[in-house]
Amino acid sequence: MAEPLIRMTNIRKSYGRVQALEDANFHVNEREIVGLLGDNGAGKSTLIKVLSGAVPLTSGDIFIRGKKVSLRSTSDAIAHGIETIYQDSALVTQLSIARNLFLGREPIKPPRFLNRMDQEAMNTVARDLLKQVGISKNIPPTTPIGSLSGGERQAVAIARAMHFDSDLIILDEPTNNLGVAETQGVLSFVRSARDSGHSCIFIAHNIHHVFQVVDRIVVMRRGKVVADDIDPKTTSVAEVERIITGMSDKEIRDAITDGKPSH
Amino acid sequence: MENHSLVPRLIARPEFGPFVLLVVEIAVFWSFNHDFLSPQNISNTLAFTVELGLIALAMTLLMTSGEFDLSVGSLFGFSPVLMWTLFNSGLTSLEAGFVAALLVAAFIGLVNGWFVTQLKIPSFLVTLGMLLVVRGTALFVTDGFPQRTWSAEGSWLAEALVGDFFIGPFRIYMSLFWFIAAAIALGYVLTQSRTGNWIQAAGGNPSAARARGVNVSGVKIGLFVLSSVMASLAGVISSLRTSAANPNSGTGYELEVIAMVVIGGTALTGGRGTIIGTVLGILILRVMRNGIVLIGVPGLAYNIFIGAIILGMMALHSWLERRHQAGT
Repeated sequence: MAEPLIRMTNIRKSYGRVQALEDANFHVNEREIVGLLGDNGAGKSTLIKVLSGAVPLTSGDIFIRGKKVSLRSTSDAIAHGIETIYQDSALVTQLSIARNLFLGREPIKPPRFLNRMDQEAMNTVARDLLKQVGISKNIPPTTPIGSLSGGERQAVAIARAMHFDSDLIILDEPTNNLGVAETQGVLSFVRSARDSGHSCIFIAHNIHHVFQVVDRIVVMRRGKVVADDIDPKTTSVAEVERIITGMSDKEIRDAITDGKPSH
Repeated sequence: MENHSLVPRLIARPEFGPFVLLVVEIAVFWSFNHDFLSPQNISNTLAFTVELGLIALAMTLLMTSGEFDLSVGSLFGFSPVLMWTLFNSGLTSLEAGFVAALLVAAFIGLVNGWFVTQLKIPSFLVTLGMLLVVRGTALFVTDGFPQRTWSAEGSWLAEALVGDFFIGPFRIYMSLFWFIAAAIALGYVLTQSRTGNWIQAAGGNPSAARARGVNVSGVKIGLFVLSSVMASLAGVISSLRTSAANPNSGTGYELEVIAMVVIGGTALTGGRGTIIGTVLGILILRVMRNGIVLIGVPGLAYNIFIGAIILGMMALHSWLERRHQAGT
């Protein structure tokens, strides 16, 4: 089998005496949307932070297409093609959509010594990208991020990752606090990202959103990956919930009906 | 559809409020006293306005990046003292003393920037400390006395910075051209250059900027240096024009300059700044100071008006900002 895009082996991360990750093994294939699930404190965010360069790992290895890498900072990770989109995505609200898309990589108009941004080129690319991620409304690329809705901001962040050819886009709770229509929008941006050749890790508390979009589900519990090959097409939500909590059928029933009269 | 109707777009600009205020101010003062728009009064007002203005221009960029600099007033006093002390003692020529003063100012800006970005101390505290150090040095070196400033006549430096000539009835100093050049250059940097994008991002969301590979610390240190150098230049210009180098001069300028910048529409919290607004803010405050005296209001009442203007403009900007965020 081909080398996966990302492979993380025996990842350990401890904060003082607290073991956040214990020998976690995780991989993402090319052109794949992986849903990462787990209860609070299962280690999802820590795993993602390690992969996005936000925190250093205690031990373990990360491979990108079979090549070992070390990710010391978020810009390190971005340089390796790993883009993380946090809930309050990493955008500057005062700047326009186009200026955010190109922040740090603004195209320069010749002569170069004038250091002048090519704003027309930026706007043209931004307009195309917004269309590509399927923003239905016609929003001009000069609109400041501050006047966009939560879903539109996610779309801009995803568009940026797609444009700069990030191989892996990590979405941390992208559908939190979004309305139904906006959530569907974000899910379709994720699909269009995969269809254009990118891989995604999708983290969400709402299991139903995960089921709607991912190709494979990975479940973490107490710092370990306990299941990494769940097919959402052949597995039920209830079953995945059981794996997340680590309880048997009966234990879950008991927990749910605990203190309530059973019917 | 992009909004093409001109009038609502003009009104929505942050510079619109200050512009209206300036026009009203000028009209009111002129209606009270027609001498307000006399060539002599305009020339006199402009001479000092552009000196403070140079500092305000640099402060605009620094505040857009989310920091500010309280040490500018002390540098305004210290730099000419240093230049004249070096020259009077025979150590350097006037020109070399000028360069030395600018280099020392640049170093002070570097120290400010280093404390703020590397030790993560708020710029309020760092530059307040620096204000005391610099002002204290100026007073200590001079024993509190003004320095001798004669014999600048005919030096090419004085000619280039404050040489004066008449355009019609208007007496114009060279410093006006330096101010205009600086306003154009810094306005260009802020709105057109990629550095400007980084300055706004550094003030708006520094962690997002850093994640995109923007050297936020570098940007801020550079702007602290710019702020110090411009304050130093303004001090030297003022000293050459008035033939005075007083270690106490520039006291309180830091707050007046910050007021000019925020009246113009630059956000105190960073992320958004406008050079055009700052130019209007500079004019608003200086016209106010001049006009109040001309129409016979006691000069001591000046601060009442300045305070009221600041409060009024802040209310307007916050209202515009909320409308803007609501997407209208």
